[in-house]
Amino acid sequence: MTCLLLFLQFISLKKSAFIILLSLLGLTLQAQLCTLKLSGHLEDADTREKLVGAVVTIRELGMKIVTDDKGDFVFEHLCPGPYSLYITHVDCDPMEKVITLSKDTHLDLNMPHARKSLGEVVIEAQKGVPNTGFKQELAGKALEETKGFSLAEALSRINGITQLQTGSTISKPVIHGLHGSRILTINNGVRQEGQQWGNEHAPEIDPFIADKLVVIKGVDELKYGSDAIAGVILVEPRPLRLQTGHAAEFNTAYFSNNNQYVVSGTWEEQVKKWTGFRYRLQGTFKKGANIQTPNYRLNNTANEELNFSVTAGWKKDRFNAELYYSQFNTKVGIFTGSHIGNLTDLLTAIAAPKPDDVFLGQNSYSINRPYQDVTHHLAKLKSTFYKGEHRFNVLVAAQINNRKEYDIVRSSTNTRPQLDLSILTLSQDIQWEQPRKNHFSGTTGIAATQQNNTYGGRYFIPNYDAYTFGGYLIQKWSKHDWEIQGGLRYDHKTIQTRRLKYGGDTINNNFNFSTFAASTNVIYKPSAKWRTNLGISLSSRAPYVNELLSDGIHHGTATYERGDIFLKPEKAFHLTGNINYQSGPFQLDWVLYTHFIRDFIYQQPVPDSPVLTIAGAFPLIKYSQTNALLMGSDLAFVWKFSPQLEWQSKVSILFARNQKTNDWLILMPSHRLSNELVYNFKEGKRLSESYISLEWQDVMRQSQVPSDKNGKQDYKAPPPSYHLLHLNASTTVQLGKQKITFSITGRNLLNTVYREYLNSMRYFTDEMGRNIGLRIRVPIGKTKS
Amino acid sequence: MKRNLNMLSVALVLAGLVFSSCKKDKVEGNDEEVITTMQLTFVPSGGGTTLVYDYDDPDGPGGTAPTIDEIVLSPLKTYSVTLTLLNKTVTPAEDITTEISDEADAHRFYFAASSSSNLLISGLDDDPNGVPLGLTSSWTTGPVATGTVKITLRHYPGTPPNKAIGDLVNSTKSGTDIEVTFNTKIQ
Repeated sequence: MTCLLLFLQFISLKKSAFIILLSLLGLTLQAQLCTLKLSGHLEDADTREKLVGAVVTIRELGMKIVTDDKGDFVFEHLCPGPYSLYITHVDCDPMEKVITLSKDTHLDLNMPHARKSLGEVVIEAQKGVPNTGFKQELAGKALEETKGFSLAEALSRINGITQLQTGSTISKPVIHGLHGSRILTINNGVRQEGQQWGNEHAPEIDPFIADKLVVIKGVDELKYGSDAIAGVILVEPRPLRLQTGHAAEFNTAYFSNNNQYVVSGTWEEQVKKWTGFRYRLQGTFKKGANIQTPNYRLNNTANEELNFSVTAGWKKDRFNAELYYSQFNTKVGIFTGSHIGNLTDLLTAIAAPKPDDVFLGQNSYSINRPYQDVTHHLAKLKSTFYKGEHRFNVLVAAQINNRKEYDIVRSSTNTRPQLDLSILTLSQDIQWEQPRKNHFSGTTGIAATQQNNTYGGRYFIPNYDAYTFGGYLIQKWSKHDWEIQGGLRYDHKTIQTRRLKYGGDTINNNFNFSTFAASTNVIYKPSAKWRTNLGISLSSRAPYVNELLSDGIHHGTATYERGDIFLKPEKAFHLTGNINYQSGPFQLDWVLYTHFIRDFIYQQPVPDSPVLTIAGAFPLIKYSQTNALLMGSDLAFVWKFSPQLEWQSKVSILFARNQKTNDWLILMPSHRLSNELVYNFKEGKRLSESYISLEWQDVMRQSQVPSDKNGKQDYKAPPPSYHLLHLNASTTVQLGKQKITFSITGRNLLNTVYREYLNSMRYFTDEMGRNIGLRIRVPIGKTKS
Repeated sequence: MKRNLNMLSVALVLAGLVFSSCKKDKVEGNDEEVITTMQLTFVPSGGGTTLVYDYDDPDGPGGTAPTIDEIVLSPLKTYSVTLTLLNKTVTPAEDITTEISDEADAHRFYFAASSSSNLLISGLDDDPNGVPLGLTSSWTTGPVATGTVKITLRHYPGTPPNKAIGDLVNSTKSGTDIEVTFNTKIQ
């Protein structure tokens, strides 16, 4: 073991005349005795992302190695003995580690974030690929292109994600054909508990909060619930500023179709006086008038939104805490011509090629009945502390969601909502992240949620209290080209419902559900170019209150919806494969998936037992269960012809079967394809990051719909296929020291008349016509050192 | 500091666990929008017994099915008919007819008697603009017969409502609030 040290001492002490001789001796000795290997893996202690490009130095030998794209390094031909390692990375404080080598050794090291590292660099590091199984994200340029649109519309730019719409202003995301309570939305670390009962209930989140939108599937889903059957959407804000000083950003946008304007601003600061204290203020205001289709304008389709958030963070060496509050307020008009009194009216309205003129033509910002008014409050406290290399996170969050729906009423003096639901949710999560050791790292956690719903007005869902308790365990192993991950989760949910009927009757129902989930992932990277990933998961979702107990007329579809208190949890088996190739000008990402869902809950029309009411007979639709099989593929391809020109292509295909009726499942997205040509301009003195892109989107007709052999399933055949042209262009201008980004977005440039199968307004109206958006983004930054 | 925050977290977790004790339920408030009952009062011209026939669904849509009276009238007579709408989900029952007459220019009743019913329904009252409303009407019976009468209440949601004399029962300008079919018998 001492040979090397002796050798080094000799070099420094003895005269140069001996050097050559001794060197030769040293080399011979090394060849004989020094065969040890020191390998290691580096991760960021805060983000758990692999540290690529970290420099590992053995001080005694002056040997340096840069970690590869897996965060790994290997020194070979080492002699036994003590060494001191010195490790540096742009994001982290340098680290010193002394080891004594006596056999081949592997080190797993977590490097803490630098307290004074540059804020911008930290952001870049966050955009790296954390070691999650299946992940797709929308960030940077692609996210900027969606600023001013809804969360679901932004997400629909991700391959495999579509939207379920009620007009142009209400939309919810659909992942691989599944939506609503099968998708968990995590808003800044907290599981969003809004009101996702119906197709016309959009997620209550301001997309301007997000620095990136991430969709994950597989093992990491288990941190959020056992019921993420379709996947998890993470709405991730930028981390708070680490660097002393302040920064601000101002965004504004105008959209031509409905004269919509959006103003959004952010201010963040790290106060010099109190090292460790940072905060951020953020707000968005949006107001749009009635929507214009190519041939007519739809009355009462205006919308407005006012959102803000406050974040305060405290960071010490071994402890940090973040306090966050956000408020989301929206008021959305619903096209008057779609509010249907009874089935006869619905059939008349559907038969008409266009809505009656009384519902058309007003260019106005005013919102009348019917409309929705939704408020969502979120407060959270997240604290993280370290014990040795172990990390503990404690998250406590409270959410209040109030949804008011104002229907068309007979008396214009009536100002009350017809539906008024308030949901209070408290959630607690405790998480332990064990440090990486012997190639293993892991996360263990427990979670509890308490929820209370009260309602006033029309009956839709009952008052209820729900309690969920769960626990999970995730382990990840990675070595060189291989990564294996696995996890388990169990949740228990109790729901106690009380309906207090107007006659004084009370209807109580109590439910208990246990749900279990398990997931595993094997990732293999045969070379830097290829990454393959195979995942198998089980997940299960307890029925929601609306599926169990809804009982009433749904005015949007002129149906009488009835729940079923005997529903069992849905149990899903998923098999997902992914191949990713990146080399030079080519990038390819191909996902193949199969979801088998036992006891899949869906709405089954019961044609032979209509419900007679004073407004006439309504077709009955009952929540039922079947076995569903969904199979599909998402393919994305990028080819950079030249440094300037690139072609991007996306294909998404889905087949969804109802196995009990041996038929197609209703309301599934049709196959779609998009091709985009991007021209990136050369960086200029005044203009930078300039590009223009044209996108051609083809959406096939949905031909896979249930047949009428079990009674009428739908009122209208799916609309024909459609083809849209979109445009995006952007440039950043340097004006003195100030940068300003200007961008243009054109949706449906050719003003094509079309209807989308997944928009319930397809029964009545065409989709939105041409919409040109102009955006200005002004970042204002000031940094003190 | 760290310990304090740890304690705070624990306190908040506990607070969550006990929160359910401070809940309060609201009672279903369907008081304003439900019409449970349509009552037709028949006063024969030239004297005679006043007749009352109901469509009645006291628990509102769903639940127990509604009861619908058969309208039984004498042959070759004229009745003046008054229509009343009630909400029986509240006590005492609420009269909704006044809501309709207050906004007569946005509402209209249509009466469709089947050809076999031997009924002629005319003389509907008008709204302030001279367009038929239908809270009162005149029913003339023919010889002995059985048939049906369908009564529809249409509501004009537009501002202004644009209600016009020529509007048919299935006009796309208006929506259905009530659609009730009675069996009729002249004996």
